[in-house]
Amino acid sequence: MVSEALSFILQLLIFPGFLFIICLAFFSEWVLRKFVARIQNRMGPTYTGSGGILQPFADFIKLLGKEDIVPAFAERTYFTLTPLLCLTLPLTALFILPMTGHRALISFEGDLIFLAFIFTTLTIMVFLGGFLSGSVFSMVGGVRAATQLLGYEIPFLLALFGPAIPASSLSISKISTWQAQNNAWGLWTQPIGFGVLVICLLAELELLPFDIPEAETEIVAGWNVEFTGRRLALVRLGRDVELVLASTILADLYLGGPQQVWIIPPIIIFLAKMFACLLLIGYLKTLFARFRIDQVLSGMWKYVIPAAMIQFIILKLIW
Amino acid sequence: MIKKSIWIYHLNTGGCNGCDIEIIDVLTPFHDAERLGVKLVGSPRHADVILLTGPITRQSMEKAINAITAAPDPKFIVAIGSCACGGGIWYDSYATVGGIEAFYKILRERGVKPPKVIYVPGCPPRPEAILHALAYFKGLASKKIKKRVFVEK
Repeated sequence: MVSEALSFILQLLIFPGFLFIICLAFFSEWVLRKFVARIQNRMGPTYTGSGGILQPFADFIKLLGKEDIVPAFAERTYFTLTPLLCLTLPLTALFILPMTGHRALISFEGDLIFLAFIFTTLTIMVFLGGFLSGSVFSMVGGVRAATQLLGYEIPFLLALFGPAIPASSLSISKISTWQAQNNAWGLWTQPIGFGVLVICLLAELELLPFDIPEAETEIVAGWNVEFTGRRLALVRLGRDVELVLASTILADLYLGGPQQVWIIPPIIIFLAKMFACLLLIGYLKTLFARFRIDQVLSGMWKYVIPAAMIQFIILKLIW
Repeated sequence: MIKKSIWIYHLNTGGCNGCDIEIIDVLTPFHDAERLGVKLVGSPRHADVILLTGPITRQSMEKAINAITAAPDPKFIVAIGSCACGGGIWYDSYATVGGIEAFYKILRERGVKPPKVIYVPGCPPRPEAILHALAYFKGLASKKIKKRVFVEK
């Protein structure tokens, strides 16, 4: 009993828990920066650590040492709360996603709904943090984030719940296990849903075709314009963890998640799938230019929501 | 730790855009300052180093002071181009403050502690010179110029 509890705590803190996820977050930011730089014919970070691998970590440590400013017009409580929740919400979500084996660290029937709840809460925190920072730019950024939510929320949920139908379960661990055992990856059985989910995750992560809430050339830095020092460090780490979360969702719900192939352990297979999804996201991010907010809303309602619905209907006809 | 990741904020105080185009040259693929951990940020709240160009016109002085006070400590200023270093050909014009030293005098009068400054002269300075200034922060390069004040006879 005691050893079980101890091993659970160790798992929570070290291996598929906090330490592993945070290292993975820094590493995936480096991978993304290097990948984007190579596409743009640049080198990317080179001199910090071998091949610049410590660059995201150096950024984080530097930000921790900077002066902490709370603007006079900011709402102090939410200004402190938003960076904390920006980090803790995606971390919590990563615990319910299977990484090392068939079962996630915390798994219960209906954790898919919990995941959807966390994603919506994140956007609402972004909106609150931007709106209550007391700057015009951050206010515009927060409002844009909330407006964008109206566009991508519905197709995102439809694509998220698509893989639950063939597996007839609302638990992420069961869905990925079912896909791995029956060799029916979501990518092959419902390709339109995969595309819709990738588009909506790009919008959720505020990456390039949809980086309207933090459009640097229009509204300075969007909703995080007033964050400095420790708060900015937490916001940026939260963004990195969210990147890991997005690629993990794609790997778990549409690519079968961690599965044993021959003698290769599940974690290696999982990391390979995760980084494939990460590079897909990075490739799309580099390829496109930013849309306007009205183009995003009309495009989502005209094309992406019908596509998600068609996928759902096809799925219902088959299963 | 600031040596390992330098986030720069580009502050044009009424320059002719010559230096600004050279700064763009530093950041774009050919010179690629991201190798050194340099990143362009949009907000002075995120900045470590402020790249100041232009002779600081009276119109832009208040905004420049706002931007510099908004940046969190520790912060540095890199004065880029002849105008920012000493006023350039506008050193005695009524419309400009006349370079960073006169600007620092005004800052001290207002009770703002002026950050440390690094000079990059030239009209405009080559992108390599700007990179040299950034490498000087990282301890990769040493100082190349000495201070010498020109006196009109």
